[in-house]
Formats: sequence, C-alpha cells, structure tokens
Amino acid sequence: MTKLLEVKNLVTHFVTQDGIVQAVNGVSFEVNQGEIVALVGESGCGKTVSSLSVLQLIPQPPGKIVDGKVIFAGMDLLKKSKEEMQKIRGSRISMIFQEPMTSLNPVLTIGRQLTEGLQFHLKLDKKEATRQAVELLKSVGIPHAEGRLNDYPHHFSGGMRQRVMIAMALACEPQLVIADEPTTAVDVTIQAQLLDLIRNLTLRLNTALIIITHNLGVVARYAQRVYVMYAGQIMEQGTAIDVYHNPLHPYTAGLLGSVPRLDEPRRTRLQPIDGQPPDLIAPPQGCPFAPRCVYVKPECKLKRLPLVEINSGHFTACLVAQEGALPWKKILSLK
Amino acid sequence: MEKDIILEVTNLTKYFPVTGGFFGRKKLAEVKAVDGVSFAIHKGETLGLVGESGSGKTTVGKNILQLQRPTSGEIWFKNKDLASLSNKELRPYRQKLQVVFQDPYESLDPRFTAADIIGEPLRLHKVKGGEYNKRIAELLKLVGLSPYMAERYPHEFSGGQRQRLGVARALALQPEFIVCDEPLSALDVSIQAQIINLLDDLKNKFGLSYLFISHDLSVVRHISDRVMVMYLGKLMEVADRDSMYEKPLHPYTQALLSAVPIPDPAVEAERKVIILKGEVPSPLNPPTGCVFHPRCFKAFEDCPKVVPVMGETSPDHHVACLLYKECWP
Repeated sequence: MTKLLEVKNLVTHFVTQDGIVQAVNGVSFEVNQGEIVALVGESGCGKTVSSLSVLQLIPQPPGKIVDGKVIFAGMDLLKKSKEEMQKIRGSRISMIFQEPMTSLNPVLTIGRQLTEGLQFHLKLDKKEATRQAVELLKSVGIPHAEGRLNDYPHHFSGGMRQRVMIAMALACEPQLVIADEPTTAVDVTIQAQLLDLIRNLTLRLNTALIIITHNLGVVARYAQRVYVMYAGQIMEQGTAIDVYHNPLHPYTAGLLGSVPRLDEPRRTRLQPIDGQPPDLIAPPQGCPFAPRCVYVKPECKLKRLPLVEINSGHFTACLVAQEGALPWKKILSLK
Repeated sequence: MEKDIILEVTNLTKYFPVTGGFFGRKKLAEVKAVDGVSFAIHKGETLGLVGESGSGKTTVGKNILQLQRPTSGEIWFKNKDLASLSNKELRPYRQKLQVVFQDPYESLDPRFTAADIIGEPLRLHKVKGGEYNKRIAELLKLVGLSPYMAERYPHEFSGGQRQRLGVARALALQPEFIVCDEPLSALDVSIQAQIINLLDDLKNKFGLSYLFISHDLSVVRHISDRVMVMYLGKLMEVADRDSMYEKPLHPYTQALLSAVPIPDPAVEAERKVIILKGEVPSPLNPPTGCVFHPRCFKAFEDCPKVVPVMGETSPDHHVACLLYKECWP
C-alpha cells in the first residue's frame, strides 16, 4: 500500500489568557491510499485539532503549529503558502464537518456553494459546473436534485444538509477526506444512512478516509486502522481488530468497558474510568493517563512514554503493557 | 399489579398550534407532538423511552411534570389526575416529581453557586437555617461531590460534575419519580458510565422510579426494566427490556436496533444492517394509516389505510403494527 499522508510529531498549541494549551502534543499517524482510518478519543483529546492542523485550518493566532511535519503525497504541507494550500484543500484533501448548519453558508444557495469548488479547482464554466453539481446531489441521494440547487441550507433537514456537505467534499474527487464527527448531530437511522454513503462513495473513488469520532461502535463498523488519542497524544494504534480484541492500553480498555453493548448479555454494572482528563495547560509530566490509571507505576509519572510496537503493527504508549502485562484483560472478560 | 403503579398516563395528546398572520393570531395548523399515548410506570421501575428527534419523547416528559399542560388525556399520580389540577393544587405533587435535564451546561444558572442551585428547591419549600446547610452537604456527598465544593460556580465544574449537580438538585426534595431527559448525551463515554452508575445507585437507595428518555439504545437497555419506542408522536412498541431487545416486533424497532453500531469490528463485519429509507416526515403533515409506513421495509397495501392499535402479542409485549393480527382495529 502506498503511503498517502504521514503526520510526524505534530505539536499544536493555543495561546490563551490562562496559559498555553498544549492541544496536540507530538502526534504521528499515517494514512494509506484508499484506507479508512479512525482517530478516536473523547472531547478535548486533540483529534479535531490534529486534523485541522493537517489542512492548516487552525486559526493563527491563537493557534500555532509549533513543530512537526505533514507529508501528503510527497509534499510537506506545513511549508506550503496560503495560496498553495487553497489549491490542495477541497481538491486533493477535503473535509466533512460536524455540524452542517454552521459549516454551510446560510446566505448562499446550495448550488452556488457546490459549484464554487468545481469552478475554482477544476476550472469548469458555470454551465458545466451546474450540470456536475446536479450529478453530485443525485449521487448523495437528494431527491429532485435539479430543483434544489436554488434552495438555501435552511430548506434542508439535518440529514439532507449533511448529504450536501458530503457532495461538496467529494466534488473534486479528492485523495483524502477527513470526516470530523460527521454524524453526531443526527439520529441513529440517519447516522447509518450517512456513514454508509460516505463509505460507498470513498470506496468507489478509492479515496482515503479519516473518521474522527468518539463513538466506538462507528469505528468498529467502518475503520480498518485506529489511533486512540488522549490528552493530545496517541495512546495506542493498530488494526481495528487488534485494538478492540486485545487492547494494549488501559485507556482503550477503560473506554471499551464503559459502554454497554447490545450484542452481549446485560451487565449489572458498568466500569467507568474514574476522574477526568487532565488540564492541557499544565499536563502531567509522564503518561497523561497516569492520574486516572488503576495500574499506574511510579515510573509512569516521571517522563513521557514513547509508542512501542508490541505485536506487528500494534503500538502502545503504556509502560505496563510494554513490560508484558495486560492486567485490564480481566475486567474486559467480565462483560 | 394495579397497586404498585406509581404513575399512569392515559391517552395523552399534546398539540402545538402553528400560528401566522400579521399579529400571529391566526391558527394555521397543528403539530401533533404527542398523539394518544398511554402507559404506566411501576414503583421502583425504570421505564426507557426511545425515539429519534421529533418523536415527542421530551414532550411526554414535560407533560408528565406539568411543565406543559396536555391538550387532552390524564396523568394519574397518587390518585389525582395532575392534568386537571390548578397550579396551586399541583405544588405538593411537584416535590415528588423531579427532572434531570439534558445539557448540564445550559440547565444550571451560571450566576448561582452549587449550593444555590441545589438549595433552590429547598428554599422554595421553606427549608431554613442549619437544616438547609446540612441538607446541601448531604446532597453533594450523595452524588459523589464534596461539601467544600458548595461555594463553586458551574463553570468551575467539569461536565460530569455538573450533571451530578443536576441530579442533586432533583433529589433535594426527596422525590419519588424522576424524569431523566437525555441526561448523558452531553457527556463523554467514560463519564457517561459514571452517571449511569450513580443513577442506578440512587434508584436502589431511595426506591425511585425513572422515566429515562434517550436516543441511545444501548444505554437504555442497560438502565431500563421496560422500554417504549416512539415515532412521530405515537407509541410503536412497549415491552419489558429483554423481550424488546431479543425479539423486537415492530419493523421500526428492528431497524433502530440494527442501526446501532456494536463496538467490535468482528461482530460488525458479520452484521446485516437494516438501513431505513428517507427521513422522519414532518409532524405537521403525518402520513396516513401507520405513521411509519413510508419508511417501512415491511409495509404492505393496508398500511397507508389502516391505523394500527396497540395490541398485546405476548404477556407484557405490546406493539402497534398491522403485521400482527392483535393490532387491527
């Protein structure tokens, strides 16, 4: 498989009144051509900031990409000028945002917003762009597509708006689509419709897909490889099967233990993770999960732990696992 | 069985007028947010209420609490029909019926301290002096917070802690019945489990009954004894938890359950998912016959014509779908 995107040691900070927030703190990940990769984590773990950094959509200031490399198809995106990035965004890498109501422009028609990218990137004339826009709306399952080009975003329901977003993201047949919590604002039956649509379209175009989500079920259904993030760092990475069936980090195990599952006998009690994520203005020196970790050792708190490959392609930043013990397996088998 | 029913809802309807005209006085149409819903909640039971946005599940909760007055129907609690009482007559009953809201970021007054928030119901019901402070400390401990946090403001708490405050406020007047309206949806997964366990502990400790409103079917299965499914203002299926999840009868329930992704890639790879067509139609102009028929994968020619009634197909399993002979009017 060819490597399409490689993020190396990315560090993104935000300057606030209270201090510098270390939102992303040395994150590395890769995406191969046509692959579906998930970044999983809870709010504030840096999954969205990582992906916005890739596209240089971080507002600067207050944000700042302090360190790292973003290699996309052989180019270092962090060295590109504003104009060069504009040509890449939307045509080679595009994004599906979380809230379609706030990410579509409310005062422009859907047709105008769809044809804008086509005219800019593919240099189509207005007539041809309009024709393609209709095709796009049809391909994402919007009924009466011709008649809807002159409608404004508020004419569409939440699910339909997200379909328009998907059409926009795929308009120029990009090599990489980043979907940031694409279905958190919609109902379960619509969630299933939209995610299937995204998967089928990206498969057809051989487009790689990064799904950013906190929903462990969505990851299990769609992703081939998974990066588990916590407090701006990657805790564990591997194939979806490895990460779910043999978690090498107590945080991953904790997440899996805290969600009820429909396919298993009902447990009388859930196993929550006690405490809260750390303050990223003054994150812990050692492993960021150490303050909440049941299996913590004194060494965990001393210095940052690197990701180490335990099994082929399966990495963990947990010292306990690196030393060969997996005490959390006991709890998971309780389910 | 009849005796241990704590709350009974009969034929509840709530219509909202759609107004127009220059002064907004012309009534153009009606939205049938809740349309003829009947159910009972037993003492010590958690009844889960599932549905997508716009199904009317929150409206049911608000009407039980009399935060909205129903258009018609009865809500029986302690041998009184709450819907027929005046605001003044309702007061003693309000203590016993409490609510935990969805978003702990919006349902707590930012200018109130934790003690003010939890203490407000106490003040309204004239608890004073040393008793007042003692009760606040007690309530904070009860929900897993520390009494020294009493003077903090909501922004000094995390999301999970804020929801604990919301729970403490609901508990202040020793209620018997709590409506939990999507209490987890604003929280992260690892924190959700903390609140679920807290609600469970409190229920056992005080013998509470819950109406647990949620769109998360896995959580509802975990927490509920019985489950109701709503769609476009109507009940589709009511059953005890295990028979609902093991043998869902209504096609809508079947589709909902199959749409929930399971956090296991190996299971997901094998699973056949029912993907419903289209979206929830506008409640302004609901479909004829069975309201679900335009999206139903099992619909047949009678579905647009006949309105199904709730029928009991097996003990404690009720469904409203024409596939079952019990549901023909």
